[in-house]
Amino acid sequence: MKAAVRPLSPAMPTLFPTEFRALLQRLCGQSARVQGARDQALRARRSALSQSGTFVGHRPYSRGDDLRRLDWSAYARSGELFTKQLEEEERRTAALVLDVSASLAVGTPPRRFAALRLAAVVGALSLTHLDALVVVVPGAGSLAFASFTGSSSLPSLLQHLEALPTVAASPQQAASLLLQRGLPGRVHWVGDFAVPNEHERALHALRRRGARVTGWLPSLPEDCSPPTAGYLRWCDPETGQELAVPVDAAFAAALRHELERLSRQQDQLFGRAGATLRRWPAARALELQPAAYADCLLECAR
Amino acid sequence: MTLLAAWQLLWLVPVVPLVWWWSLPPRPSRVQWTAHLAQVERALAALRRRPPRLSRWRFLLLVLAAVATALAAARPVWHGGDGAQRLVVLLDGSASMAALDADGCSAWQLAQQRVQAVLDDLPEAVEVTVLRAGGSLLRRHGAAARALHELGAPDGSLSVDLPAAVATLATDARTAVWTLTDGQGQAALPSQGALTVVPRDGPNAAVLAVRLADGWPLPQIELEVDVVAFADGTAAAEVRVEGAVVQPAAQSLTLEAGERRTVAFVVARTPAGGALEVAVVVAGDRLPEDDRATVPLAPLPAPRIAVLAAEDGLGPTFAKAAAQALAAEVAGTVVDAQAGAEVGLLLVDGGRVPFVPAAARALTFGTELVAAGAEAGNAAMDPWIRPGSLGWDRRAALGLGLDLSELRIDRAFPKLLPKGEVFLWSDEAPPGERGAAGPVPLAVVCGDGSRASMHFAFRLADSNLPLLAAFPQLLRRAFVRCHGLAEPLRWNAVPPAGEQDLRARATAEDRPLPKFATGDTDLVVFCLVAGLLALACRSWLR
Repeated sequence: MKAAVRPLSPAMPTLFPTEFRALLQRLCGQSARVQGARDQALRARRSALSQSGTFVGHRPYSRGDDLRRLDWSAYARSGELFTKQLEEEERRTAALVLDVSASLAVGTPPRRFAALRLAAVVGALSLTHLDALVVVVPGAGSLAFASFTGSSSLPSLLQHLEALPTVAASPQQAASLLLQRGLPGRVHWVGDFAVPNEHERALHALRRRGARVTGWLPSLPEDCSPPTAGYLRWCDPETGQELAVPVDAAFAAALRHELERLSRQQDQLFGRAGATLRRWPAARALELQPAAYADCLLECAR
Repeated sequence: MTLLAAWQLLWLVPVVPLVWWWSLPPRPSRVQWTAHLAQVERALAALRRRPPRLSRWRFLLLVLAAVATALAAARPVWHGGDGAQRLVVLLDGSASMAALDADGCSAWQLAQQRVQAVLDDLPEAVEVTVLRAGGSLLRRHGAAARALHELGAPDGSLSVDLPAAVATLATDARTAVWTLTDGQGQAALPSQGALTVVPRDGPNAAVLAVRLADGWPLPQIELEVDVVAFADGTAAAEVRVEGAVVQPAAQSLTLEAGERRTVAFVVARTPAGGALEVAVVVAGDRLPEDDRATVPLAPLPAPRIAVLAAEDGLGPTFAKAAAQALAAEVAGTVVDAQAGAEVGLLLVDGGRVPFVPAAARALTFGTELVAAGAEAGNAAMDPWIRPGSLGWDRRAALGLGLDLSELRIDRAFPKLLPKGEVFLWSDEAPPGERGAAGPVPLAVVCGDGSRASMHFAFRLADSNLPLLAAFPQLLRRAFVRCHGLAEPLRWNAVPPAGEQDLRARATAEDRPLPKFATGDTDLVVFCLVAGLLALACRSWLR
């Protein structure tokens, strides 16, 4: 008889202790200007020189559209005619899309722990150097969309992050939410991207609207080095599915091969969408040193 | 279907949960939370593996095997059809069943073929008994009955009242009685049970009786043969005497239907013996078994006759002549008497010989018999001159019909005779014994059965016995008497009268056999096979 597996409730360390808050202050003080805002300014400037307003995305061409707004580069890539959507230049903001599904509960420390700390760092940097930060958590109800302005709202951001529930939502929901509320130029998407195909449409939609997306994947050791022995009951915390598998060398090799293929699919997904995927070891979230977040600083500065 | 031991199904109570527990997959040692369950599944698929799990089909097959085994232990039985549970075959084995049809198939063979055909298709549960009526009554039961084991050949009369026998056997409603007969020798056929009549109509001749006068040890045989023929009208018949005879004999005659005729033969048997066969031949005879009678004949004795005679006067001449005449009569030979030689008959004339009466076959004439190593008394040699008033036993086989009235004896020595059956005597008394009561023996026979010796009180040369016409006959009879009586001849059994007339028989319509019970079918083997199949399928199913 199969014993019921208790739902995964990882023992997470304190998410944002005082030491981490101090680390955030140090990171914001030593970081360079967040590059995403400059890009937005340059793009606004180019838009003003060429046409009125800021490019915010594409829509399919229809009869009567101004031919000067046809995006010939998009035509060259896709073979279809798109009309560039322009709007008045808005404030420089960044968007933070968080995946808080149950699948992030795996790992030691849990992938969710690393994702939230990563979001806190990215958010803090954005609040410091940009005008505003939008946090999008699809499926989180009232917490699904939150906007923060200025570095003084960092405590509110951290409190918001701590309050996020574990909820599952599709990537398409996140993209729709972003596009409905206005498109930020820079999007930081933190998640495990376990099913790459589900993200493809969302990433392409964001790309068509001109978003520059950076994917953040807190990586775990078991993402590339699965167990090599033992009779294991594999459980998916998100779906609740279970699979009892005796693990031997052949199975470990086959699983490693599949994980490598998943990794390649994730890279290819972001590559096709013109985005960047950053893998950040989740274990670094436990380190309270600025060096652990060097990748964040570097990526935000690009 | 009935379970003879239904309580055995209680084994399923502990076994099925045990099978369920046994079918469960092993428990994993630890839990591995993962967001990559899809990759785990793909890895398993790449290796063509399946995770251990409870296979419902394997469990169901195992339960099926357990149920089948428990069911087999419960001894399931499938009830067969109703009907007779026992078959009694009443088979007529009388002599008339040997009658043949035109193809040479006897009624006995046909009846056995029909019985065998039915028995081959009879359900195993039916108990079979075969009763052979006629001749020797035989009973076969079970496997021996189904194989019709050693039922013998048709013989004898049908002394069983078939209707009464069938009525007795058919009292049990579960018993089916099947009568197979040709109807011969029965006033009526059974009115109950199944009936099969195998008639063989046609002419038949039979040897009814043979009367035989055997001249043994002489070769002459006198035969009287009673024959009869049953045919429509007269039948031309021929009676033959063949086999161990020097010259086969045959007589033709015309026989009226049912007429008993006697035919006489005089034949000479062969010295080597053999089977003497008497046969009557009629064209188209359906029952050849009763056409002939046979008797085994023993070889004739061919003795070596030794002669001892005192070398005085005409004694040796008479003795040798007598031996030669006797040898010619009985196909013997005359040999010289030598000490230690074995002979069939010793003929002694005069003198003195060491001889114990009846110790060997012998004829002595005026010979003094002494025990070995003893000396003879002189008184025994005193002659009795011309004994008169001679008489002989006219009622015994030895003297019956012989005329010895002309016998004259010159000298006799009655005191030489041993004690024995007196054949020849004198009513007078010897000269020195006047007043003695009773006749004085002059010839006696000693011994009985198959070996005897005959002793005369006078020598051949002292009487006119060799000159009498009855002398050769007396020698033959003495030879026969010395060899004893012949074994009685045993003819083969003469067919009973009721089995000979194939035209006169009881008739009735054939009646079929009733329906038989098919018997219960034991389903244990089927259950076990089903269980094994379930186990085989379970081992094949992954």
